[in-house]
Amino acid sequence: MVWLHPVALLALVAVAAPILIHILAQRRAEVVPFPTLRFLRPMALVSLRRHLLEDPLLLAVRIAIVVAAVAAMAGPLIVTRARREAWNRRIVRATVTMAAPGVSRAGSRDRDSAFQAREFRGASLADGIRRAVEWLDMAPPAQRELVIAAPLTIGSLSAADIAEVPRDVGVRFERVGALAGERSVAYGSVRAADGIVDREVTIAGARTLVRDRPATAPATAADPALPIEVVATPSARPLVDAAISAVLRERVWAPPRAHGAELVLLSTDYAPPRVTAPAARLEPWMADAIARLTRDNALNQASAQASSGVDVSRFSQPPWFTVARSRDNRVLVAAAASGDRLVVVTGAPPSDVVLPILVRGIVNAIAVVPDIVPLEIVPIPGAQLTAWSRPAIPPEQPRADSVESDDRRWLWIAAIALLVAESWLRRSRRRDASAAHAEEAARVA
Amino acid sequence: MPSATPCPPDVLAGIADLELAARIVVEGLVSGLHRSPFHGYSAEFSQYRRYRPGDDLKYVDWKLLARTDRVYTKQFRETTNLAASIVIDTSASMEFPAASEVTKFRYAVIVAAALAYVIAEQGDAAGLVARDVLLPPRSGRQHLRRLLASIGSLRSGGVWPGVETVRRAADRLGRRGLLIIISDFYDDEEPMASELHRAQRMGHDVVQFQVLTRDEITLPYTREIEFADLESGVRLPVNAALARRDYRDAIAEFLERTRARALAEGRQHTLVVTDTAPERALRSFLLARRA
Repeated sequence: MVWLHPVALLALVAVAAPILIHILAQRRAEVVPFPTLRFLRPMALVSLRRHLLEDPLLLAVRIAIVVAAVAAMAGPLIVTRARREAWNRRIVRATVTMAAPGVSRAGSRDRDSAFQAREFRGASLADGIRRAVEWLDMAPPAQRELVIAAPLTIGSLSAADIAEVPRDVGVRFERVGALAGERSVAYGSVRAADGIVDREVTIAGARTLVRDRPATAPATAADPALPIEVVATPSARPLVDAAISAVLRERVWAPPRAHGAELVLLSTDYAPPRVTAPAARLEPWMADAIARLTRDNALNQASAQASSGVDVSRFSQPPWFTVARSRDNRVLVAAAASGDRLVVVTGAPPSDVVLPILVRGIVNAIAVVPDIVPLEIVPIPGAQLTAWSRPAIPPEQPRADSVESDDRRWLWIAAIALLVAESWLRRSRRRDASAAHAEEAARVA
Repeated sequence: MPSATPCPPDVLAGIADLELAARIVVEGLVSGLHRSPFHGYSAEFSQYRRYRPGDDLKYVDWKLLARTDRVYTKQFRETTNLAASIVIDTSASMEFPAASEVTKFRYAVIVAAALAYVIAEQGDAAGLVARDVLLPPRSGRQHLRRLLASIGSLRSGGVWPGVETVRRAADRLGRRGLLIIISDFYDDEEPMASELHRAQRMGHDVVQFQVLTRDEITLPYTREIEFADLESGVRLPVNAALARRDYRDAIAEFLERTRARALAEGRQHTLVVTDTAPERALRSFLLARRA
């Protein structure tokens, strides 16, 4: 037997009430002034109080009424074999679909065979699964099943989403609807000569189309042309400006405002003081940017053909990272953190092709480039879906608040029957007392 | 003008004017009692009665004795000068039920007042003997008022010297008269019975009104009760449910013993229960007396 509301059993202390009332009522004898005691015989009341129950049957019935009522409030549920088999026969099914035209009728064919069924439709399968699990958790005792009916493309569902489903809930996949023909998604922002533009990528089968649109938030006058501060001698400034102009014409990723960089062009007669104090602590985005610069093929190829220029061998020790080497295998480009910005030093001459390639590489490195792989329209392999699938497990112990019917009605019926019996007993006792009283009065008269 | 229905005891007990209460009771008596139910020794012949020692020999019917060899005394309907003395029990045991307005004592006072009223209305003499009150029997309206005032001023409490009171009443009654005792007769039975018998031997007609409550007869309590004696204060713990049968047997035996002895010795005995209307009790008493 299972008690659906076991806290109510605490009310069993109420059983003590009729007994206590009986005992307390016996403990205090009422004092009654009486004309004469000559016709009364003394009695040992203490022993009487201890052993005498005036009407044990009536007391037992009253206690039984309290017990039955309390037990009924506690919600008894007798889990018989037949009841358990009936629970196991029925299925509560939640179907998760996506709000897409091709899957609008998904799962409807299962609805008729289920004891209870409900469809959860949303923008993402993860959200639908979360809501379906909450609903299944409140469902009455039955085999619980989660059906995911969707095109099931990579990225629409993950192992983490399946892990959210309780172990006793069966999981089944139905690949419904066609894969989308093409998908267009926002793909970051690009800095051009006339400002920042938003880029959109359309994936259509094997083809990928990139389209730039005017920025929703145009660049303001406060925005620098590039988030890079170039430190160079006045004689090298025209070459630096030309390099920046060339980079902007070619377009580069627009870095976030928080990501800043400083490019120092070293010369034999010029040594900027800020380079001498790099920060020991490296931000993650800085490390990522240094790694990207190191892997920049164009920069590496251009550096390998360049002469060594100014000696920057003093920047080959930590906290400096070597980014590129010259033709004679000497350090040509090095990078380090300096406060909240990335500092890149190079000994390459300003007239070398390394300069514009380095400027472009730095801007792209500190920018956040979206990953396009999850956007690809590829179905989840069938083997993976099979591994995630599992049958429903029959419920072992029903949840108290999900059982739709219990056995309390039988106890309420018993309580009412006992109330009737108690009433009948009281009346019969009263009738007997009045009959005895009348008989005695007649005898006395 | 007789009232249609008897006045309830609790209503009567609530009437402060005892004369009014007595008049209500008397007017409630059914008609047909115009002639005195109290037999005296005066002019109009009423009936024969077997001779009892102490009877005046001048009332012996000698002719009847000659014819039947039996001694009978002639009784006459007394039209005037019947001397009646009313004795009221003022013991604490009469103050029951304590919480009720109709105590045995209040009921006894009303009955006594009604009897005095009836006697006085017929031109007879009525008196009162209680603990500290001694009012010799006299007739007249003014005496009736004094008598009712004395009855109304009586208070119950303590122990009642019943034997002495009855003796005093019998002695002060002088010539043969009517002695009415209103009590619960819880006193010592034997001395009281002897005293009553002595009064009879003095030639008095003795009438007993035994006043009890219904609760005293039936003991209706169900739980454990600590009964406290109204006179002595002694307490007795009793489980009423268990003790009821024995109690009822004992009190029924007591009542029957009292009644049987009274009848055997020629005393009129009337048991009245306080939930009975006083008119009914007096009516049955007076009718029985006329028979």
